[in-house]
Amino acid sequence: MSTEVTKVGIISCSGEMIPEGTISRLATRRVLELLRPNATVTLCLPLFLAGNEAEQNFAKTHPTITIDGCEKRCAKWGTEEHSGPVSSALVVTDILGTQAVGCHRSSRNSSLPDKEAVWEVAERIAAEVDTVLAETGPYDGTAAVTSGDQCSCSSPVPGGKLKIRGATVSIPGLALIFGQCVARNIPADTCGCDALLGAVRIYHRIPPEEEADYRSALLKAYQVFRSGAKPAK
Amino acid sequence: MGNEPIENSVLVIPCSGIGKVHGLMSREATYLVTDELAPRQTGTLCLALLVKGDDEAVAAVRSHACITIDGCAKACAEKNVAMAGGRVAKAIQVAEAFKNHRGAKPGDATVLADDGWIITREIAAAVACEAARLYACEEAIR
Repeated sequence: MSTEVTKVGIISCSGEMIPEGTISRLATRRVLELLRPNATVTLCLPLFLAGNEAEQNFAKTHPTITIDGCEKRCAKWGTEEHSGPVSSALVVTDILGTQAVGCHRSSRNSSLPDKEAVWEVAERIAAEVDTVLAETGPYDGTAAVTSGDQCSCSSPVPGGKLKIRGATVSIPGLALIFGQCVARNIPADTCGCDALLGAVRIYHRIPPEEEADYRSALLKAYQVFRSGAKPAK
Repeated sequence: MGNEPIENSVLVIPCSGIGKVHGLMSREATYLVTDELAPRQTGTLCLALLVKGDDEAVAAVRSHACITIDGCAKACAEKNVAMAGGRVAKAIQVAEAFKNHRGAKPGDATVLADDGWIITREIAAAVACEAARLYACEEAIR
């Protein structure tokens, strides 16, 4: 394992037969793109059988979390059988309970419950990533990506930019966060400020002394987003 | 369709690759076929079940004609079905479908853009056509 930067591997079952498989896949993408872009990598589960030695050694070179859609736990089993022991194994049905009932397999049919299920599972995965990293060594969430064995799956999404006290601050995936806020009917006025701040705080550290500045800047950016204009990049 | 027993004659199995848009296209093309274009003739199967070596999944790919849809040249779906002793009647690669869509912007591994859906529908139509042919062959044998 690299001694420079520890990255957590996330392996999703992506089971095609059930909505929970789609949730596992999308939640994993959300963590890679938005929640922990500098701390995580992934690999397609079927590559353990079809891939080369480097791919099959994935779980030996990364602390790995598996995300399974159902109790069959194919991702956990497949990873441990073909690559190595995992650090943590999550199951979507354990996280969501009956919440996944009514969710869909295809994104053509995706609705608000699907999106909320993905967010909930993604946040659970992110928390697990933090736990694993805490056990394996210190992690600087703002650190640059330096691992040589990073797979192309985990390129972070572009950040939205805000002006805070004269400085430009980048927030990874701000447009995605705003999109979720729109889906949750958070208003683009002072009534929505608390919810807006809370949503962004999950993914970006906001110092207490700068809360008022963030509140104002986020509201302006959110209003621009809702008006249909592209937010500043 | 949920986690029901596999009864349909033709199995459509995508790689669902998590790293690139091609994996998402393979997955969505499969759902277009099994849910919309040919629901009575086709079904799908979790590829991860094959990776696990699940008895029911292995038996299914051995007893049904399989169409695999792979996002990239690593061909994980095709290889895993073949390694399980399954019958790969047709192996499709998403990248091939881009030859007629140079410069297309299909989206990313999370969300398909309009171009991505257009190409995905073309792939699905080709798969449905092949599934109908295979289904007719299977029916004739019975």
